[in-house]
Amino acid sequence: MSAAPNTTRRDFLKIGSVTGAALVLGVGWTEGAEAGTAPSASFRPSLWLAIASDGAVTITVHRSEMGQGVRTALPMILAEELDVDFAGIHIAQASPGHGIEDMGTGGSDSVASAWRPLRRAGAAAREMLATAAATTWGVDRAACLTEQGFVVHRPTGRRLAYGALVATAATLPVPQDPPLKSSRDFRLVGQRVRRHDGPAIVTGSATYGLDLRVPGMLRAVIARCPVIGGSPARWDAAAAKRVAGVRDVAPISTGLAVVADSTWAALRGRDALAVTWDEGPNAAFSSASFRKQLEDAVARPGVVTRRDGDATAALEGAAKRLEAVYAYPFEAHAGLEPLSFFAHVHDGRCELRGGTQHPERVQREVAKALGFALDRVEVEVTLIGGGFGRRLAADYAVEAAEISRAVAAPVQVMWTHADDLHRGHFECASLHRMEAGLDDAGRPAAWLHRKASAFHNLTPPTAEELADPESYSGSAWGQYDVPYAFPNILTDYSRVDIPVKIGPWRSVFSPPCTFARECFVDEIAAATGRDPLELRLALLEPASFTVAGQTVDRQRFQRVLRLACEKAGWGKPLAPVAGRRVGRGLAGNVYDFYTHLAYVAEVSIGAQGDVRVHRVVCAVDCGQAVNPLGIEGQIESGILWGLSAALKGEITFEAGRVEQSGYDDYPVMSIRDAPAVEVHIVPSDGRPGGMGEPPVPPIAPAVLNAVFAATGRRVRRLPLRATDLA
Amino acid sequence: MASISLTVNGVAHRVDVAPEEPLVWVLREQLGLTGTKLGCGRGICGACTVHLGGTPVRSCQVPATSAQARPIVTIEGLSTHGDHPCQRAWLEEDVAQCGYCQPGMIMKTAALLQGTASPALDEIEAALADHVCRCGTYDRIRRAAHRAAALKAEEPAK
Repeated sequence: MSAAPNTTRRDFLKIGSVTGAALVLGVGWTEGAEAGTAPSASFRPSLWLAIASDGAVTITVHRSEMGQGVRTALPMILAEELDVDFAGIHIAQASPGHGIEDMGTGGSDSVASAWRPLRRAGAAAREMLATAAATTWGVDRAACLTEQGFVVHRPTGRRLAYGALVATAATLPVPQDPPLKSSRDFRLVGQRVRRHDGPAIVTGSATYGLDLRVPGMLRAVIARCPVIGGSPARWDAAAAKRVAGVRDVAPISTGLAVVADSTWAALRGRDALAVTWDEGPNAAFSSASFRKQLEDAVARPGVVTRRDGDATAALEGAAKRLEAVYAYPFEAHAGLEPLSFFAHVHDGRCELRGGTQHPERVQREVAKALGFALDRVEVEVTLIGGGFGRRLAADYAVEAAEISRAVAAPVQVMWTHADDLHRGHFECASLHRMEAGLDDAGRPAAWLHRKASAFHNLTPPTAEELADPESYSGSAWGQYDVPYAFPNILTDYSRVDIPVKIGPWRSVFSPPCTFARECFVDEIAAATGRDPLELRLALLEPASFTVAGQTVDRQRFQRVLRLACEKAGWGKPLAPVAGRRVGRGLAGNVYDFYTHLAYVAEVSIGAQGDVRVHRVVCAVDCGQAVNPLGIEGQIESGILWGLSAALKGEITFEAGRVEQSGYDDYPVMSIRDAPAVEVHIVPSDGRPGGMGEPPVPPIAPAVLNAVFAATGRRVRRLPLRATDLA
Repeated sequence: MASISLTVNGVAHRVDVAPEEPLVWVLREQLGLTGTKLGCGRGICGACTVHLGGTPVRSCQVPATSAQARPIVTIEGLSTHGDHPCQRAWLEEDVAQCGYCQPGMIMKTAALLQGTASPALDEIEAALADHVCRCGTYDRIRRAAHRAAALKAEEPAK
């Protein structure tokens, strides 16, 4: 999740190794590398493709599966160009080292970044196999076709299976510019393909990190100070050890590890520790104190993230001025699978296994913590029962390594849900000061969006980063890239420091900014008597613009706004719901300059102010749809994720502590709350964009705009409370 | 520690358990039946749902000692070949994302279908209202539950 996710990459291929009778291709991308360069030490493959002599095709996936479908989508792309049966592909999970890198799963870029390299790898292998067949038969290559794992000589109908050709193919040069299929000829890409891991999941045989069982493995939980920066002052290790099954109490960098034969014993042992904490310097931190800091920050100019024209002067000279402040809460990931990691430190090495979105970071941080060389640290990646950005951090893996070293045994550490809510990292609360200036005719002439919040601090920002304006725009997705064509635009960012950990959370900086932006556009529409769709379309001319070196395609954005409205019956009366007020709202976003998405939400509000979201119609243009079934799933999922933050739980701090401990006091959407979702995908053969995060940001404003349509109440603070509307 | 006998998926096991130790830990850490998922550990999320004497229970809230003498069925024992109508329906609707909640969802729905051959949407939602899916696959779960009921109706009577 970098500030500039659209790094230009060039890919190239080489034979990684020829082991026995197998064809192995490494697929890599390295900044600035030229296609066709000779293999060199700088070659960094990220995906491996192997075809064995029995025809078995194995793809090593370098990204973590956490429900987003990457272990389905990446093999589909390869199978398409290689021309093999998708169902027969074996999927291996990559580990760091071993020539594979770029393994961080975040920023919704797995399919986007692998699209071209994987296609080229498949096409190159297919070309080599066809050439091998032509050589074997002594015929013209042009007379040979491929067909689902076979090369076919068209004039004679002779066939050879890929497996029979790999030994010959592996001796051929790798074509550096293999012909790729036309999208018209796709047989698999664009089809609705079910999840690769589905059968294992529904039978209970899928292995997540917490499911690992290793001979001799002990289980650990950690008592951490509820206040970040605090440390244990006194504790009763003897009491913990009196719990049957508890082996040891080991102080580590983050607290006191209770190590036992079973997790249950470790939990009971932790209860018995009776720790007295030295709470450290942050015990006065609270949501209220942070809110006050944000209010001060948002009142004064910040670091400019975009300046078009002179918004300050235009606002001062405006015939009418609108002002509003929007507030987004602290949020947590609250994934269902408790965090866990396995570590075994022995003989100067560390073996690690678990669910991580960033095995390279785990390797790096564990190596640093233990003082080991990188190649002494091995990381195996399991399935993840909910990532959402939480598992981009390596804290829990480092703890496992520290405990294993301390007790000289293989250990799995587990965090309960409460542990993670108390001491994980968070989506930071933010305030958004919005101003618009209207001219005599009511046309928007100026736009100001000031964001006040804290930077990510899992790795504290350096002085250079704090001085770099790009750090500020990189923390304000959805703000500085506002897609609307106001004649004068000023966006800026007022940074506030915070002691608690702030880090990646599904769609990161975008939901708060998009919430404020899309709601405030509707405020302009309401103030000027314009239809929210008509106003947006009018603000989406000319067709495109460039900001920070990236282009926003307003036509594609217009198209999804129109399509969502058309399919939802925008402008037509909603069916009444007995005893409830009904309304429809629109919002949209261009995520990461590429995934264009619009929602129309239909809501009803009861007399007590309770909001129900009945239906959401989505239109999306994400370029080539690789797996529409997966795309729809990510949209359904992103809607629920965004609505949990908009309508359900928030994280609050008091006396330096998080006040929530689980789904009871940090509720998330339930099956009763889930709207019917209707997805319309705009046909496209453009490069695919990401789909894990883009569905999140526009749902909150679509629902809040619908609430306004139903009630005339403009709620600017999330999560929405029934008391806001009663 | 007490030595107790548990019958899980038709197999009798003798295990040593701590007083009050919840069934979920015994299933997962002693018997290796990790298909039963540990979620909140506080009876809120439903991920650890198993059948105890034919009734769906949250195995994080049931002391193992109280689960003796009644048959326990976990996701691993729901069907012989992974082809219970719920499992088939869940695959056909491509329900799972991260998948961690789904064994609990499936066990709860399978129990619902035991008593209610053709549940209405309200009944499905009532059964699953206190099960958490953080990926938000609820719309597909609704469809899969209806489909499972239809698949079950097609099966020859046992």
